[in-house]
Amino acid sequence: MATRAVETNSGVPALASERQVTWPKRQRTVLANGLEVILVESHAIPKFHGELYFRSGNAAAIDRGPGLAEMTATVVRTGTAKRTSRQIEEDLRGLGADLSSSAGSDSCAIAFAGLADHAEPLLEMVNELAREAAFPAAEFERERRQKLEEIKLSRTEPGFLASERLRKVLFGAHPYATVSPTEEQVAGYQRDQLVSLYRDFYTPANALLLLVGDFQPEAMLRNVEKVFGAWRGAKPQGSVYPAPASPRGRQVHLVHVPGAVQTQILAGCHAITRKNPDWIRLGLTNSLYGGAFNSRLVMNIREDKGYTYSPRSSVNPLRQYGYFSVSAAVRNDVVAASLTEIFYEMDKLRSVRVPEPELLDAQNYLSGIFSMGLATQSGLLGQIAVVALNELPDDYLETYRQKVRVLTPVDLLETARKYLDSANLQIVVVGDRTQIESQARLFGDLQAYDAHGRRLD
Amino acid sequence: MKRLQIPVESTTLANGLKVVVAPDTTAPVVTVGVYYKIGFRLEPRGRSGFAHLFEHMMFQGSANAPKMQHIKLINSSGGVLNGSTHYDVTNYYEAVPSNALERVLWLEADRMRALKVDDENLRNQRDVVKEEVRVNVLNQPYGGFPWLDLPPVAFRNWANSHNFYGDFNDLDAADLADVQAFFKTYYVPNNAVLLVLGDVKAEEGFALAKKLFADIPAGAAPQFADPTETEQTEERRGDVEEKFGTLPAMAIGYVVPQRRTADWCAMALLDQALHGGRAGKLYRELVLEKQIAVELDGGIDDIFGYNGPTQMVTRILHKPEYSSEQTLAAFDEVIREVQQSGISEEELTQLKVKWQSDYFSTLEGGHGIPRYGLMHLLACFTLFDNEPQLVNTILDGFLAVKCEDVQAAARKYLLSQKRAIVFRTPANAGKEAA
Repeated sequence: MATRAVETNSGVPALASERQVTWPKRQRTVLANGLEVILVESHAIPKFHGELYFRSGNAAAIDRGPGLAEMTATVVRTGTAKRTSRQIEEDLRGLGADLSSSAGSDSCAIAFAGLADHAEPLLEMVNELAREAAFPAAEFERERRQKLEEIKLSRTEPGFLASERLRKVLFGAHPYATVSPTEEQVAGYQRDQLVSLYRDFYTPANALLLLVGDFQPEAMLRNVEKVFGAWRGAKPQGSVYPAPASPRGRQVHLVHVPGAVQTQILAGCHAITRKNPDWIRLGLTNSLYGGAFNSRLVMNIREDKGYTYSPRSSVNPLRQYGYFSVSAAVRNDVVAASLTEIFYEMDKLRSVRVPEPELLDAQNYLSGIFSMGLATQSGLLGQIAVVALNELPDDYLETYRQKVRVLTPVDLLETARKYLDSANLQIVVVGDRTQIESQARLFGDLQAYDAHGRRLD
Repeated sequence: MKRLQIPVESTTLANGLKVVVAPDTTAPVVTVGVYYKIGFRLEPRGRSGFAHLFEHMMFQGSANAPKMQHIKLINSSGGVLNGSTHYDVTNYYEAVPSNALERVLWLEADRMRALKVDDENLRNQRDVVKEEVRVNVLNQPYGGFPWLDLPPVAFRNWANSHNFYGDFNDLDAADLADVQAFFKTYYVPNNAVLLVLGDVKAEEGFALAKKLFADIPAGAAPQFADPTETEQTEERRGDVEEKFGTLPAMAIGYVVPQRRTADWCAMALLDQALHGGRAGKLYRELVLEKQIAVELDGGIDDIFGYNGPTQMVTRILHKPEYSSEQTLAAFDEVIREVQQSGISEEELTQLKVKWQSDYFSTLEGGHGIPRYGLMHLLACFTLFDNEPQLVNTILDGFLAVKCEDVQAAARKYLLSQKRAIVFRTPANAGKEAA
């Protein structure tokens, strides 16, 4: 593949010829009970990383209770038919293992890593958590109170308040609008609800087991069959929700935090999922805009103007819908100036073709960092999970770089026009209203809220 | 259990630059690091925060790679880059496809040879750093807690006790002359180590290092302020106001014994017994059993990466219905118990397995960079000990620790007169967040 040979600076060494990137073989098996298993060898360290996914998360649980999948996942690790909470934690330590149990919008997951020597007992532990969680009443009660305190704390974090507001604005009545339950909702959780969600979601037919690490796949598959083979359970019924309407016209949503000495900006619009054929070109457009250190937005509002430390744009793919967002925590007196530049760079990408050399730089960047995942077990696991969970083609990893390479300035112009929806961008600002409201109003009709989501006049 | 034998080769150039190469062909990726032996502990008085501000300046341009070129050349080679300032070292690192190795080394050599920055660059990065401090500290609940709150209470020597992110007045006072003086004093090849890890052969790494770095002149050996602390004889306490959060918080820090001693190894395992996740004694007692604390974590931060006085720190956010003294009493009960009864053989065995497993993961990655941890350890063992091979032997000391050593460490080091406590109390305690 072509790489750039010409350099503008004197003495900069040219790149040597690109080395071959070889993705390891993914061994995919579906057990008789419906459990999908993917095994990948990676021998850098004598460990292995695994993740057991269930393809239903907080969104699928919304009618039972917001955040209920997350609460369930939290209590899963606190006791099984065979082990108490304390035994679980001590046994994990004795295996040299880390384990977490959590839920996102689209899935629940038990993630784990441990020594290759102790793979079987760790898989047995995971199996127990997935099939025989006991939901001890006292543990549930403690975790629920704990969750209440965590929710109160998160309402004091600017980043959380910004993303919570943006998701509400973009997704309206759709389950994706909710990133966290209210205190009242958590207080209302019943143990029975967790047990029933667990029974419905945590089934082999709804699951995907990924293992990456220092093992022989044949031996590992025998382990997996032995440990998980007798598990039974059907896919849960999914509910269908109407598609969220994309908000029209720029609007400003201000979350008032008295005394804030900085303003968190987060703006966004609807975009696409990873399954969409435009995904890769939107990724490349994003990396040019604000997705890399060398991107236009970072060079503008950080390296040129010094408004912010950490500007960033990203494409956020949920399973059913995706959204594009741009964020920056900026000095209070440059909120309007920062937004002006955020829109300037977006509109420029929508109106002027990207120069060829800049495009080539961005292609090299995206293609290079894609291969970094090969170097660690957890990185590899992450990339294989993306392919499997989104049901992308089997050769996605092998063909990704080529798909990045063939894109042209015209492709990017079209992509920016289609997805960097500047005219309808929803702007969230989290900060002290008295310092920033007049600046923010310049960009659209403004509605202010407090940290609890109550409208302010 | 399997052992990990990392191939490590090292040499020193005539100008004093140490070079360490660790080949590994797992992926066609190479990680490059340059570590300078200067951190915020030893930055000049009246210039708090300067070591970190200076780190930012190292991305602002060098003789043949003007501002923005450095970042552009790495990103457009398919790589990522960053730097970070620690107590005793400052690092600059890149992970790139291995066909960009020479280019990366050329860039690092260029900025080691000649930094080329102006007043405008300094103004720009001063603004960026202030926003970094706001986003991480001043505008965050529990921002900087306890890493910025504890040192002024715990230590008496300015080197260890000042504001490492920097007072804004000090940042404003820094000028271009400070930048050039700092560069000339500390950023000399004889105060640095170059690391090349991954898809590279040792002889290739050494040859490139020689080709690109050998003509950089050595400087005078830097003089370092003495960071030694006087013996602490009574408990130290301090108070800090929490502006946004609603839960009372406290941090308790105990001085850690001299690194690479038998006591230090015992203390590390004691630390794991106390702070090792949900199985740790403190989490189990204060969060799971007594349910006083909402968050509890801690330990000896970056245990292989410091070279001066440091603490084992416990960070606690607790429910408002418990007073600070009640919370501290529950904490003290755990400490007393481990002093009186020590830990069991079974517990020690578990701790060692976990310690070894964690060590493998440390070496493999970190910060999204392949082999970041290996790079960090090789650098620190080279700069502090002149012994990069320690990455292959350092575990032995921890695996030799006995139960009685852990108990002895608890009795010797977990003493009230050897600790400092900071209480971070919400300004709006009891009130609902506005």
